[in-house]
Amino acid sequence: MSAEAIIEAKAVSKWYGQFHALKDINLTVHKGERIVICGPSGSGKSTLIRCFNRLEAHQEGDITVNGIELHPKMKNVADVRSNVGMVFQHFNLFPHMTVLMNCMAGPMWVKGVSAAEARKTALRFLERVRIPEQANKFPVQLSGGQQQRVAIARSLCMQPAVMLFDEPTSALDPEMVSEVLDTMTGLARDGMTMVCVTHEMGFARAVADRMIFMDAGQIVEEGKPDSFFGNPQHARTKLFLSQILKH
Amino acid sequence: MKTYLKLTTLAASLALTLAALPAQAGAVLDRVLAAGTLKVATDANWAPQSFVNSNNELDGFDVDVAKEIGKRIGVKVEFVTPGWDIITAGNWVGRWDMHVGSMTPTKKRAEIFDFPAVYYYTPAAVAVHKDSKATSLSDLDGKVVGATTTSTFEAYAKKDLTLDAAGAPPFEYKLNPKEVHSYESSTTAFDDLRIGDGVRLDAVVSSQPSIVDAVKAGYPIKQIGEPVFYEPLAVAIEHGDPEFSAKIADAVKAMKADGTLGTLSKKWYGVDYSIVR
Amino acid sequence: MLYPDTVEAEILVHKPWFVATMFGAVFAIFLAFNLTSTSFGELMRPVIGEPSQSGLYGRFAIAFVIALLFVLNVVLIGFASLRVQIAIVWFELLLLFLAFFATFHLSLPFIWEKLPFLISQGVVTTLYVSAISIVIASLIAILGAVAKLSTNGFAYAIASFYTSFFRGLPLLMQVYLIYLGLPQLGFVVGAVPAGILALSLCYGAYMTEIFRSGIQSIDRGQWEASRSMGFGFSLTMRRIILPQALPVIIPPTGNQFISMLKDSSLVSVIGVWELMFLARTLGQKTFQHMEMLISASAIYWMLSICLELIQSRIERHYARSKVR
Repeated sequence: MSAEAIIEAKAVSKWYGQFHALKDINLTVHKGERIVICGPSGSGKSTLIRCFNRLEAHQEGDITVNGIELHPKMKNVADVRSNVGMVFQHFNLFPHMTVLMNCMAGPMWVKGVSAAEARKTALRFLERVRIPEQANKFPVQLSGGQQQRVAIARSLCMQPAVMLFDEPTSALDPEMVSEVLDTMTGLARDGMTMVCVTHEMGFARAVADRMIFMDAGQIVEEGKPDSFFGNPQHARTKLFLSQILKH
Repeated sequence: MKTYLKLTTLAASLALTLAALPAQAGAVLDRVLAAGTLKVATDANWAPQSFVNSNNELDGFDVDVAKEIGKRIGVKVEFVTPGWDIITAGNWVGRWDMHVGSMTPTKKRAEIFDFPAVYYYTPAAVAVHKDSKATSLSDLDGKVVGATTTSTFEAYAKKDLTLDAAGAPPFEYKLNPKEVHSYESSTTAFDDLRIGDGVRLDAVVSSQPSIVDAVKAGYPIKQIGEPVFYEPLAVAIEHGDPEFSAKIADAVKAMKADGTLGTLSKKWYGVDYSIVR
Repeated sequence: MLYPDTVEAEILVHKPWFVATMFGAVFAIFLAFNLTSTSFGELMRPVIGEPSQSGLYGRFAIAFVIALLFVLNVVLIGFASLRVQIAIVWFELLLLFLAFFATFHLSLPFIWEKLPFLISQGVVTTLYVSAISIVIASLIAILGAVAKLSTNGFAYAIASFYTSFFRGLPLLMQVYLIYLGLPQLGFVVGAVPAGILALSLCYGAYMTEIFRSGIQSIDRGQWEASRSMGFGFSLTMRRIILPQALPVIIPPTGNQFISMLKDSSLVSVIGVWELMFLARTLGQKTFQHMEMLISASAIYWMLSICLELIQSRIERHYARSKVR
């Protein structure tokens, strides 16, 4: 791996009160890399990626994003966050704004881009997620799949260096999952650096450069998709894969 | 949140600095003469002493007296109409200079105010509903009586009246009510009396002129007995400016001497109340 | 409106037991009053003869007719569509109120004569005092709500002390405190500024709580999404949270505005010539204050209705992003 590291986590630990949520996590995300994190619920995978844009604080170890170290007293957290796109399980679109405005808000308010330019960028990315015709609707008027694609476009408008996906398809009706995964696959193909927390193993097999399996706050196993799916080393990985791939 | 804190500190220190300054320089007269206006506090609900007339302007005996005093000092008069308890609370801090609003110069009030001049005397009387069977004040023993709150009428009804102003005629308590109801003005008291004899009130203690006016306006009430006391009524100013006080005293004395006060009293009451009877 | 069932219930006012109960109740109430000497008794003269001599029969007949008319009215209204029902009932209640006011035998010429001054002096003062207070109270409320939700001990302590104090004291007391108390600290405030200050502080305290609960009602995900895009606190508050909290905040705030409009009458105690002050003053000399009080009430009511209409307009505006 010679590409530069975008996210670097070293010996990261996090507690919620007494509960040890992340235990000694070491993970480096390189530019252009696609990482899929899976694991049973409560294993700490969402917590981990939420630490990467400091929606959550870690207590031990170091996290460096784009060369900026994350710590409680940092002044430039906005620089980190505007460079790290995040897509949430429940979309979290701004319901009082039109789809277009959702996409324009970030570039205009954080980066100081002019309205005209923000609009152009927004339309370009809405085009890319294939819903330019919905630009002037409000989020509630869209289906779940469409909303999630808008959320992706909204993040892309900030031109981030890396995209974090926090179970982006878990809240969707089954028939809408594929439209979102297609969008994500497209992104991966265009070379976007991505860290995805997901249970969509088909997607993982198709796009992931590296698979990570977490359990009880630890990275239990990681590897290339072929060996990860074909020949899992760890008993807990085997059990997990057998459970979600059974049907 | 830091700016929030800073602002609070700033406001607090500002308040302290200002509080350290003397609240009043004492030279009310200088201020009045410099401004060319005398600010007079009076009531707006006290016909015929002071009320809003059909041109929507303040008018009445007190208002005329105040205007006359202003004329004699040589300044314009401006009226403000704060509530009675706000005026009597004192600490005017220059919001107004003088009060001409039929204030009785009691000793308690003299702790707060100077009374440069008594300008008239009002007979206080008792009114009952016209259906009332009472014929004398003693018939009202154990009844319910109403009066304006914190007025001398209320004090009289509660047997707590001290008329300690110079020249106040002596009086005696002829009323033994069971209960005294306080009202915001004499009119609200009359309103309760007009509902019926003994419905809410059996009698109202008020100034004779206000009773006469209410009868004129068709209120079903009547005066009973002779006036219970004569109330001297004076101009009030705050302590601390003897020159101002003297100037007002001179003005009122001159008004008495040349008959202006008597004329004004007859204009508003039909009777000359400016002299003691 | 409540979520209506798809199965229509039988109309309540057409159920025999309800009609009977209604008839019985109205009949009993009017039997208790002797109405033979009223104009209604006069109307019944053909049936009951000389009203004053009709005695129990007269009372019975009058109560019976009134109960019958009442029940007939209600049953008929029951057949109308919802909108028509609302209109008719409003109209009838209004008529009843007018009839009630008519019993005061008010002098309309006097009202007409004083109305221009009531409006040019009273309404104008009331409106500008309320309007300024509303603006200041809203600003205080936003600050207070943010402070109450903050983790800064000072801000929280000041804000919670403030809301507790100004919600706990009678507004009249606050007016006095500010008007009489501030000069002790060296600030001599005029009557109008003192009134505005008192109203702003008092309503700011109530609205702080409304704003706080409004802000808290917004889903955590909105904060996260906003933060994840690099929005700072004030940007998130102004552009993301408050706009979404507004629909939650507006109905109770509208109530506050309406009640402030009327509470602004408390500044009359410090001599501000606003609507209530004039209502109590103008009719004084001629003992026609009932005219003025009722006119002022009507004006207050109309102003409140205007505010209600504005409120429902704003609510509709914010409902926009919720329509599918």
